[in-house]
Amino acid sequence: MHIKDLTLTNYRNYPSLAVEFDPKVNVIIGENAQGKTNLMEAIYVLAFTKSYRTTKDNELIAWDQTFAKVEGTLFKRNYHVPLEMQFQAKGKKAKLNHLEQKRLSDYIGALNVVMFAPEDLNLVKGSPQVRRRFIDMEIGQVKPVYIYHLGQYQKVLKQRNHLLKDLQRRKTTDTTMLSVLTDQLIEHATIILAKRFLFLDLLMNWARPIHEGITQHKEILSIAYDASIDIDNDADVDTIKQRYQAVFEQNQQKEIDRGSTLYGPHRDDLIFYVNDRNVQTFGSQGQQRTTALSLKLAEIELIKNEVGEYPVLLLDDVLSELDRYRQSHLLHTIKDKVQTFVTTTSVNDIEHETIRQARVFHVENGSIIKQEGDKS
Amino acid sequence: MYYPEPISKLIDSFTKLPGIGPKTAVRLAFFVLNMKEDDVLDFAKALVSAKRELTHCSVCGHITDQDPCQICTDASRDDSVICVVEDPKDVIAMEKMREFNGRYHVLHGSISPMDGIGPEDINVPDLINRLKDDKVKEIILATNPNVEGEATAMYISRLVKPSGIRITRIAHGLPMGGDLEYADEVTLSKAMEGRREL
Ligand SMILES: Nc1ncnc2c1ncn2[C@@H]1O[C@H](COP(=O)(O)OP(=O)(O)OP(=O)(O)O)[C@@H](O)[C@H]1O
Ligand SMILES: [Mg+2]
Ligand SMILES: [Zn+2]
Repeated sequence: MHIKDLTLTNYRNYPSLAVEFDPKVNVIIGENAQGKTNLMEAIYVLAFTKSYRTTKDNELIAWDQTFAKVEGTLFKRNYHVPLEMQFQAKGKKAKLNHLEQKRLSDYIGALNVVMFAPEDLNLVKGSPQVRRRFIDMEIGQVKPVYIYHLGQYQKVLKQRNHLLKDLQRRKTTDTTMLSVLTDQLIEHATIILAKRFLFLDLLMNWARPIHEGITQHKEILSIAYDASIDIDNDADVDTIKQRYQAVFEQNQQKEIDRGSTLYGPHRDDLIFYVNDRNVQTFGSQGQQRTTALSLKLAEIELIKNEVGEYPVLLLDDVLSELDRYRQSHLLHTIKDKVQTFVTTTSVNDIEHETIRQARVFHVENGSIIKQEGDKS
Repeated sequence: MYYPEPISKLIDSFTKLPGIGPKTAVRLAFFVLNMKEDDVLDFAKALVSAKRELTHCSVCGHITDQDPCQICTDASRDDSVICVVEDPKDVIAMEKMREFNGRYHVLHGSISPMDGIGPEDINVPDLINRLKDDKVKEIILATNPNVEGEATAMYISRLVKPSGIRITRIAHGLPMGGDLEYADEVTLSKAMEGRREL
């Protein structure tokens, strides 16, 4: 799949932009703070209905404006699919084929995007939250119903934590409601965990050979799911459910004492191993970066395998962060298959051959001032 | 923008209505100024009497101008089934579909610890009292199919279960996460047919 064109209205520092992209490589060049990341973010928003940089949709609206709009034409399975996201103070709208989608899970998944930004180099080293977001976003875009369960889970979790606080402070003694919310939580937790196990297995199968390739067969990558409950990574739905039920039953008092939900997917983490050593604790910075790179490349293949087409790849400021060897490995992998957007402050940071084949956009202060290499 | 006080008060009142933003409120307020005085008086009276003359039925909690309400006093209705809903609007939606001939119980909300709403804050204790009547054989839990409505249904079913009364949950022919109020009559009657045992 690829994005044919993009139109921005009052989006961040873009008052009005209409641009046509190359189906293969697009390079966005500009000084700092001119709007390169904003452009990448707009594409991401078109795919996921929200930004990865902020949880506040309002920040996407240009200052002094009341609404923002991102429109794009997606080319997928030989069809043109118009996508549109609108943001206003009172909420957002997602339109697919000009039709508003009430449930965001009906919208997400139309456009598949894999984003690789400097923050992603933190995937291994960063907080568990970073890894949970990674796994949730990736499953969500191949299995949109996952997003529904995740949303429901968050709601139940919030209610349950409030009730646990009330019980802790003895504002109520009604544990019937707690057991209701526990059952509700387990419903969604079970589905989420089962889907994560499945996804991780697939991801590892793709990531391992890629990682071996980048390291010239010196490193074997494996991934483990570190669950907040004691459970095998290949457990089936029934086993997971029973396990959750037992854990919540045994720890009810403990949870009341702490006034918070101590088990569930919101407490889980991923652990990466290279040659059986934990990369987070023992890996060099280079090994951690290679791991992040392998995972991102694996994601691309995984989406292709699940969805039938390659996703769009966004590389914001990362090429310059990778050494020549990893850079060319990355570019070689995506070559001719994946529509790619690359940002940079200087052409010198990018392999010459890639630039030569790309469509290049010069960004300055929220507009595209020059465009080169328009061959297609 | 400066408005004379009477009109700014009117604008302010309109903004308290759901779905009405500041711009619409201004438009409505100026529209009222141009209405005939009699129409304005009728309008004001209708507002006040809707509020004053309507109470909640002491049996089922539905809005009514007589207590108990028409549904509760209708002898042709089936005493053995009670349909539990969150809102008076849900009763009206169910009545429109004309397929249910039992009684209702209106909770006026759903349990939500986050908003400080416990079972005692919605009509649950009254419901439990009503069930002491042997005539009741089944309750249908038609709370909204969102997280809170679902939890409320589960909570009630746990309280009622020991009594042996049949408990069913309205099936989800309804939009997920949606409200009963917005369901059209076809989906609603499908949902009634396919209700499942809890
Ligand atoms: N809501 C908004 N309205 C208007 N301008 C905004 C808004 N949000 C951010 N900006 C501005 O957009 C500008 C460009 O930001 P962006 O992150 O895209 O820069 P960049 O080109 O990626 O720079 P760098 O090379 O430093 O990463 C910033 O100067 C910022 O002040
Ligand atoms: Mg940037
Ligand atoms: Zn009544």
